[in-house]
Amino acid sequence: MARRYDAIVVGGGHNGLVNAAYLARAGLDVLVLEKRHVLGGAAVTEEVYPGFKYSVCSYVVSLLRPEIIRELDLASHGLEILPLESTFTPLPNGDHLVRWADHDETRRELYRHSPRDAEAYDEFGRLMLQLAMAVKPILGMVPPDPTSFRPADLTKLARLGKHFGALGSDKLAALVKLMTMSSADFLNEWFETEVLKATMAASGIIGTFLGPMSPGTAYVLLHHYMGEIDGAYRAWGFARGGTGAVSESIASAARQLGAEIRTEAGVERILSKDGRVTGVALESGEEIDARLVVSGLDPRRTFLGLLDRGDMPPDFVEAIWRFRIRGSSGKVNLALGELPDFTALPGNGPHLRGAISISPSVEYLERAYDDAKYGEFSRRPYMDIVLPSMIDPGMAPPGKHVMSIFVQYAPYELNGGWNDRRREAFGDAVIDTLSEYAPNIRDAILHRQVLTPADMEETFGLTEGNIFHGELSLHQLFFLRPAPAWANYRTPLTNLYQCGSGTHPGGGVCGAPGRLAAQEILKEHRS
Amino acid sequence: MTGPYDAVIVGAGHNGLVCAAYLAKAGLRVVVLERREVVGGAAVTEEFIPGFRFDSCAHLIDDMHPAVVRDLGLAGNGLEIRRPEPTVFAPLPDGGHLTVTRDPAATAAAIRRFSTADAERWSSFGTAMRPALQFLEHVRAATPPELPPARSGDFLEYMKLGLRLRLLGAREMTEVLRLLPMSAEELIDEWFESEPLRGLLAAFGVRGLFLGPRAAGTAFAMLGGLSVGSEVVRASGMIVGGIGRLTQALADTVVANGGLVRTSAEVERILTAGDRATGVVLADGEEILARRVISNADPKRTFLGLLEPTELDPEFVRQVRNVRMRGAFAKVHLALEGLPRFRGSDAETEPLQGAIRISPSLDYLERAYDDAKYGGVSRAPFLEATIPSLTDPDLAPPGQHAMSVYLQYAPHRLQDGEWDAQRKEALGDLVVETLCEYAPGLDALVHARHVTSPADLESVYGLTGGCTSHGEMALDQLFFMRPVPGWARYRTPVEGLYLCGAGTHPGGGVNGAPGHHAAREIIRDAKKNG
Repeated sequence: MARRYDAIVVGGGHNGLVNAAYLARAGLDVLVLEKRHVLGGAAVTEEVYPGFKYSVCSYVVSLLRPEIIRELDLASHGLEILPLESTFTPLPNGDHLVRWADHDETRRELYRHSPRDAEAYDEFGRLMLQLAMAVKPILGMVPPDPTSFRPADLTKLARLGKHFGALGSDKLAALVKLMTMSSADFLNEWFETEVLKATMAASGIIGTFLGPMSPGTAYVLLHHYMGEIDGAYRAWGFARGGTGAVSESIASAARQLGAEIRTEAGVERILSKDGRVTGVALESGEEIDARLVVSGLDPRRTFLGLLDRGDMPPDFVEAIWRFRIRGSSGKVNLALGELPDFTALPGNGPHLRGAISISPSVEYLERAYDDAKYGEFSRRPYMDIVLPSMIDPGMAPPGKHVMSIFVQYAPYELNGGWNDRRREAFGDAVIDTLSEYAPNIRDAILHRQVLTPADMEETFGLTEGNIFHGELSLHQLFFLRPAPAWANYRTPLTNLYQCGSGTHPGGGVCGAPGRLAAQEILKEHRS
Repeated sequence: MTGPYDAVIVGAGHNGLVCAAYLAKAGLRVVVLERREVVGGAAVTEEFIPGFRFDSCAHLIDDMHPAVVRDLGLAGNGLEIRRPEPTVFAPLPDGGHLTVTRDPAATAAAIRRFSTADAERWSSFGTAMRPALQFLEHVRAATPPELPPARSGDFLEYMKLGLRLRLLGAREMTEVLRLLPMSAEELIDEWFESEPLRGLLAAFGVRGLFLGPRAAGTAFAMLGGLSVGSEVVRASGMIVGGIGRLTQALADTVVANGGLVRTSAEVERILTAGDRATGVVLADGEEILARRVISNADPKRTFLGLLEPTELDPEFVRQVRNVRMRGAFAKVHLALEGLPRFRGSDAETEPLQGAIRISPSLDYLERAYDDAKYGGVSRAPFLEATIPSLTDPDLAPPGQHAMSVYLQYAPHRLQDGEWDAQRKEALGDLVVETLCEYAPGLDALVHARHVTSPADLESVYGLTGGCTSHGEMALDQLFFMRPVPGWARYRTPVEGLYLCGAGTHPGGGVNGAPGHHAAREIIRDAKKNG
């Protein structure tokens, strides 16, 4: 049998790679095992159609932690983030709303819709920024166990209490409202322009199986302001070369730090003896020994797929079972012979260099959700669209373009189940809806790739197609993610750790779970 | 000019009366002023149809705050509260039904017809919910401390609540914290598979809310329908003779303790001098001076209606305006010539004494909400009917019955149009037609009906937006956020002006807790200030 590693990381998604890089940096002998032929998990770039590079699943780099970029020196490994410059929302009546990177331009545009909203927008932004800053330390901390009387937990809880107490009554109340309200209600307190509310609310529903009128959707609005703290509208952008380039740069850093990475090496089982992990068994039958194992897979896959239920306490198994992980989104990638021509803002222009949001009204989004609630994909879905080739010409042949369309809602549990016919019907619904805004789109399509939640599960190992490894609802966050008492990246098995988006602080290409898990692991395992 | 009183209470709803009774008992000179000719607010019984008396709005009571019944001697006041059996009778479209009684074994047996697994989990579900219910009892009993703690007392109160939570056990504690922000659907999904049971439980999660069962926070609302006892579902109470008897008994207690209750005395404005409330002026111009004013009206009526905006901080006014008071509820009262016969019901077991609820599945409720969230009336609404004349035959002529039907969702603010006579009739038709699907022939029994639309709830009963709970009981409008952050302790920015209605913690329902808590704080202040 081969050598024994200090650590095996299961899954070469971005969090697994971040984790491996940090472990290797601390001197551990690390092996990353990835099932697919390509690294990155849901953060991959693939040339599905010759000459056109698709960021197949994850399509924007939202909150990649700046400390990770710095500490792993990702820039020297080829990471270059190109800014998203705007959010353009075309309307069926031919009008539009664009929010630009430039503050004054946005203000002028908002003023056109509503002077009141233009005024409120700045005040809203200030409040959100303050709240984002208040919440930020939480994202960078290992969740304490509120039931624990251990000094470390108590200190952390006291510190949290003090931190939030210092916010003062007004901001604390605003924060509580943000955490509990629906994005529609929360925005109603501030704005009157329907398209503005809808486009902002849309960012609150991405990846959730909730509508904008559902309480619990408001707090995701904060995410949009998180990035900006770190110097940067720039924090929202594309990676040059597609999202896969992010994974590639982390992998390159990990390799340089001494980690070994194997692709096409799917893990079939995590091996354990007497409650302690000993290594993994690959699908090929090969067994690899390790002192510790870290799983970057989602909790359902890790605990119910790779382990024997009998090896874990029944309470824990129960908690993993009830951890909600319903997929709600699909993805359509297009190779285009020409740019889309939007009726609302014809021709080429800077509005095509940012996000394009199909979210004309809150009711539109809510109705899209209504379809999904009862097991159908949205007939007229919400779409978040980007044209990476507008920013990074290397993504498509000269004069041609790639378009990435994030689509919501597409329930994993489709009535009658997903099949080829239903997948294409879903793709048609997307194109039909889009052509209402950009009539030339249908003729511009050279190739179309449609991913349903079932495809995401099949291809990327995302259980039920959930892009966040578990819904980001209030009762699945912080010390409850993924299960009470096990939010500290540890598991009921000794030397088995978790580092995926199913752990705090959750999904998005941010890398924080991978980094925090590494910190916890290194407390117990120095090289 | 009359007075000065120690306290004038604006509105003789049940909370105003509870508060007044406590203050009177404490020796304060109180006067309660009621706009209508009858006391009770939304807890009132009226003869809408000659010979038939109906509970106009609320028709079931929660457990009264335990201290209220004891302290105010309501039982000795001729007040009789009954816990009808069954607690809930839920007919189903296929002619079956699910009946919940106080006996968990009998309920489990009823559930077994739909799912063995569900039946087996019924009691353990009750047990699992108990820690949260126990904890919430403590929360409900407290005056909300401010957050962040402003005084040492606040800090102590949070420590106390934290400790209570922790004493439940580590596992139970995280379970309570996990439960509170969930949706009813998520919680129910973890336990039950059969639709009749899921619909029955989900109804507790949405009753009185303009939300569907998939909305976060509805699990918390659902807990309100459950019992710490073994019966799992809390047995609501009915007042023999109608709910108006309760508020009449409360009014009697006020008077017996030397207080005054005046009806047909509409308060038009709260008088202030400097930053202090000094009394009220009635619609007819009469001024009544008092050392303090206590409003049982909802926060919007109180601050936006009875005070001038200039008397308040603009930020406070903004927050009051933002209190969500979206009503989607109506009441249809039916005078029946005989007892309706529900398909599948067994006449001998008298299944109609308690609440009759139409909520056959979770999605039924969600679809009912879908219609309403875009401003329409639910095509297939959630209904909760009571036939109190079964318990007290005096409520209807011999052999006939008075049936009160609560309907949800009928939005106060319609997408198109107003609540005119035609709409009201359509609402009445909708209720009768819906009931007929479950009790064929019911329409032939209806000899008269009276519709109370969401607009009537506002205009007749003073419920802003038709919101029966004086502010939606959603997570962001509870505890230290109720009615607005910073003012959850029954006091207001106007010195000497207090709130005592359902718009304050712990909120809506006929339980008297806000009135009780407000009185507790007012008496504390009165002692401090001599």
